[in-house]
Amino acid sequence: MTEITAALAPTDSKARRRRRWLSRRRSIFIGGLLVGLVLLAAILAPLLSPADPYEQVLSDALLPPSWEHPFGTDDNGRDLLARVLYGARLSLLEVVVGVGLAVLVGVPLGLAAGTIGGLVDQVIMWTMDVLFAFPGVVLAILIVSILGPGLFNLLIAIAIFSVPVYARLMRNVALGLKSMDYVEAARALGASTPRIMFDHILRNALGPVIVQSTLTAGTVVLSAASLSFLGMGAQPPMPEWGAMMSDGRNYLGVNIYMSLFPGLAIMLTVLGFNILGDGLRDLLDPRS
Amino acid sequence: MPTYLLKKLVTLPLILLGVSLLVFVALRALPGDPARLMAGPEAPQEAVDAMRVRLGLDDPLPLQYLRFAGSALGGDLGTSIRSGRPVTVEIAERLPKTISLALVAYGIAISVGLSAGMAAAINRNRWPDQLTMLFAIAGASIANFWLALLAMNYFAVELGWLPLMGSGSWKHYIMPAITLAVMPTAVIARMTRASMIEVVGQDYIRTARAKGLPERVVMRKHALRNALVPIVTIIGLNFGSMLGGAVVTESVFNWPGLGRLLVDSVRFRDYPTVQGVTLVAVTAVVMMNFLAEMLIAAINPRIRFD
Amino acid sequence: MKAHGLPIVRTGAFVAATLLAGLLAGLPLAAPAATLNVLQNEAPRSMDPGDQTATFTYTVLEPLYEGLVRRNKQLQLEPALATEWSSDAAGLVWTFKLRPGVGFHDGTPFNADVVVKNFQRHLDSKRGLAASGRIRQVLASVVALDEMNVQFTLKGPYPAFLSLLTTGPALMVSPKADAAGTLSRLAVGTGPYRLVEYRSGEYVLEERFPGYWGKPGGTERIKWTWTAEQSVLNMAIQAGEVDIVNPLPPVFARMVKANTALTLHESDGAVVFFVALNLKQKPLDDVRVRQALNLATDRAALVKAIMFGFGRPANSPLSPVTPGYDASLNPYPFDPVKAKELLVQAGLPDGFSLSVAVQEPEARIAEVLQGMWAKIGVKLEVRKMESGVWSNAAFANPDQKAKEGTGAILTSWSSGVNGADMQLRPLYHTASFVPTGANLGFYSSPALDGLLDKASATADEAARNALYGEAQKLINTDAPHVLLYYKKDLFAAQANIQNLWTEPGGGIAVRDAVKP
Repeated sequence: MTEITAALAPTDSKARRRRRWLSRRRSIFIGGLLVGLVLLAAILAPLLSPADPYEQVLSDALLPPSWEHPFGTDDNGRDLLARVLYGARLSLLEVVVGVGLAVLVGVPLGLAAGTIGGLVDQVIMWTMDVLFAFPGVVLAILIVSILGPGLFNLLIAIAIFSVPVYARLMRNVALGLKSMDYVEAARALGASTPRIMFDHILRNALGPVIVQSTLTAGTVVLSAASLSFLGMGAQPPMPEWGAMMSDGRNYLGVNIYMSLFPGLAIMLTVLGFNILGDGLRDLLDPRS
Repeated sequence: MPTYLLKKLVTLPLILLGVSLLVFVALRALPGDPARLMAGPEAPQEAVDAMRVRLGLDDPLPLQYLRFAGSALGGDLGTSIRSGRPVTVEIAERLPKTISLALVAYGIAISVGLSAGMAAAINRNRWPDQLTMLFAIAGASIANFWLALLAMNYFAVELGWLPLMGSGSWKHYIMPAITLAVMPTAVIARMTRASMIEVVGQDYIRTARAKGLPERVVMRKHALRNALVPIVTIIGLNFGSMLGGAVVTESVFNWPGLGRLLVDSVRFRDYPTVQGVTLVAVTAVVMMNFLAEMLIAAINPRIRFD
Repeated sequence: MKAHGLPIVRTGAFVAATLLAGLLAGLPLAAPAATLNVLQNEAPRSMDPGDQTATFTYTVLEPLYEGLVRRNKQLQLEPALATEWSSDAAGLVWTFKLRPGVGFHDGTPFNADVVVKNFQRHLDSKRGLAASGRIRQVLASVVALDEMNVQFTLKGPYPAFLSLLTTGPALMVSPKADAAGTLSRLAVGTGPYRLVEYRSGEYVLEERFPGYWGKPGGTERIKWTWTAEQSVLNMAIQAGEVDIVNPLPPVFARMVKANTALTLHESDGAVVFFVALNLKQKPLDDVRVRQALNLATDRAALVKAIMFGFGRPANSPLSPVTPGYDASLNPYPFDPVKAKELLVQAGLPDGFSLSVAVQEPEARIAEVLQGMWAKIGVKLEVRKMESGVWSNAAFANPDQKAKEGTGAILTSWSSGVNGADMQLRPLYHTASFVPTGANLGFYSSPALDGLLDKASATADEAARNALYGEAQKLINTDAPHVLLYYKKDLFAAQANIQNLWTEPGGGIAVRDAVKP
């Protein structure tokens, strides 16, 4: 057996490499599929919905799943399937705005800190440390309390506590690359600092930022649900999953579907982004 | 202690200063008037004004901040608007509850997360790995208030095995601690797996194996030791988000800890209490990160953080 | 590799098994039988009855404190710390003879001096106690005639004066504890129970006071806990972890009713839910628009959707338990067609937009109204707010409301058993415009003001109620509010708990509760 194994080693290794190649792509495929499903639900919501997500039929409140209402109805007699489908739009919007804001603020800050250095670096990183030291929910509660409840204010709050993550990430990338040969070479050739920052550092940082964004996406959706639980989520009658779930929790014991289906939708979405993020990290990280 | 750690220690007061200013300004920017809340919606305006004077909220803001910061330095965090007791007393009453819950939860998270992550790494790409990772990612995908309510309905109401809420006996810890542990367990398991896999591929592990050391020794002495660095970092960094999770968990389980105190205090615009609790929470987070870095320095003296 | 993989998998499995074993071993702690466990939906605000205005705080404090008079199980007034009383013909001067031999939990004797000090702390504007408002509106002065007799002089005739003496600020606190400034934490009254422990995040524990002057009737101890989670209120009573849950969310009422181990207590409540319309904002200044909103509101459906049937559609600004309430009124039967016609007459064929400020627990009511009013073209923007923020929006003056675009405020009001004046005057009188009172939408009618002033000065009950009858009709026609419903007060108890009753407004009296 030992000889055979040894003899087969090269092919085995090739097969293993292929397996690894496949398994990495399998994560991306499964994660992508789940996220794609959410995207599809968001796009096709008007076609797939059996009813108007806002139409209240009070006499049909809190119905269990049936052919007419596959997910049942909520406390105001609205079709839950329709609301979950339309909710996909809001969740994707949350991801785009929540992650987008964090990236837009965090990346330039980290870049500035890493390339300029000195006092700028210290002030920026001190600010980031202060922000980062706050337990996220605490910061979000304060921000939403100031701005008032509502989906966009909620997203601003969630974005703010992700900012330090991107700032640190970018700063590390910038510091790492600054000492690399080709950046030194570019500087020697007379390229200006902004030019170096954009051409080299930003391009090299793209991978880690994309991976981090995918992983943050799940956090955004979950944080939105937690804040809805604390009464700081979307305003009615928005079919926002976190808000639906947190409304539905008040009926646990009599009706579980009202919180179950939005809860499952949140879970699958977060799962999708997390698996996708893991796969992307494996793929883009040269070390593994 | 390495000098970079000393430097870190020096920045702690700076961070606390920033945090106290931020919280102070943020609280004053909140809409809602504590005097009106205390006096009740039916109270006439003159009663609200009298209440405002009583609470010391009629002074100029910079004066209020200086008064707060000055007495905070002396260990006095002011008087709670809602209960009329010193904030330090309120916190002292709640802090042990939050710390004990957090410790139990973190104990679960670290033991389960580490063993699951190692099991996954060692059985890489086989079913134990895939199963563990599926559970880990799924665990990190559920909103924990909902998980908590479902668990309460099942274990306390349907089965009657566990007390529904409150604190008092060890049985009261089970559900809140497990709920709180789900998220960090998932994070630690994933980090352990990734870190182990990376370390196992390194040259010195191959060397150790080539030297003919037993596999167990290789894994335990060489691989795990080096893999621990990022794991300890993530454990330190996650402490803050777990405190955040405690806000939700404590609210659901009626756990008399700091998280619930904070939510209630924000609602009542109890400025001194919110300030005090936030300062304590932030100090705890910063100290945890610091501890993690010291631990890393002990594990691997070559590593430094700038 | 494989050989080393398994033990670690086993370690993981072992940890999981240990945890599971822990789960399996857990059994609910049985509370000692002599303790009555009560779970409410909010924490007590203070241990000082004069420094809070919350129903569920009053409930906690009621076994600890007493006033000069109190309500019995039939909700009639009976002597408590006063044995008898009388008033002059005009109802302006009241004299009370105090009960002898009563002592506070801290040993302070109860006498006329104590009563004077108790009311003086509310009349002192510098104290800023939360519940002083009503006392100061009504009471001019209080003096001790001798050791055991006190005399109150009112600012004007006030028929509900005795009722006022049963409310929080009129409960007698120990002057010694008040002077020490510890009352907010450590309750000291004369009641049948004394405070053992108040842990602000956990519970309030009370035990029978051995030196009580009366006959003790209740359980040995009472333990109060609280949770904000609606479903947990139900879980706690279903699991048998508590004896009483107050209030019970209406969605679980049927479930409790179906459980033979539990009793559902329901009683007509004094709480009126309504939407106050901002009359200073167009088009709400047009009475036809306000009537249209009333006609477009399907109150029966609202009662079913929000209260799951445990309530009544509102037909008057007074609640059914308030003396003078007219059950025969039916001003706005659900009629969307007529509502639409009125809007067309008002020049709004396409409807209009309106915002409503609402506190979180009541957001659903607004959401249901959003659906109902959409059918006549009214776009209702629901602004769900935290209570503190809501108070600021609701009690803002006209300019601020205009700036913030606050068109309506959804809320409720209860005068308990304290009479029609306490319901109508703060909500509808011109002198009660916010922030002075609670006339949230700036409704002003000289005719109504006249009726209310005349009624409150009328001592004869029949004549007074006739005036309130006219007032109800007038308010209904002018429609400054969209009246919604009266809710029933619901609480749940284990079936073996006896001798409990509800006070309209949602409070429960547990001081004589028996737990076998």
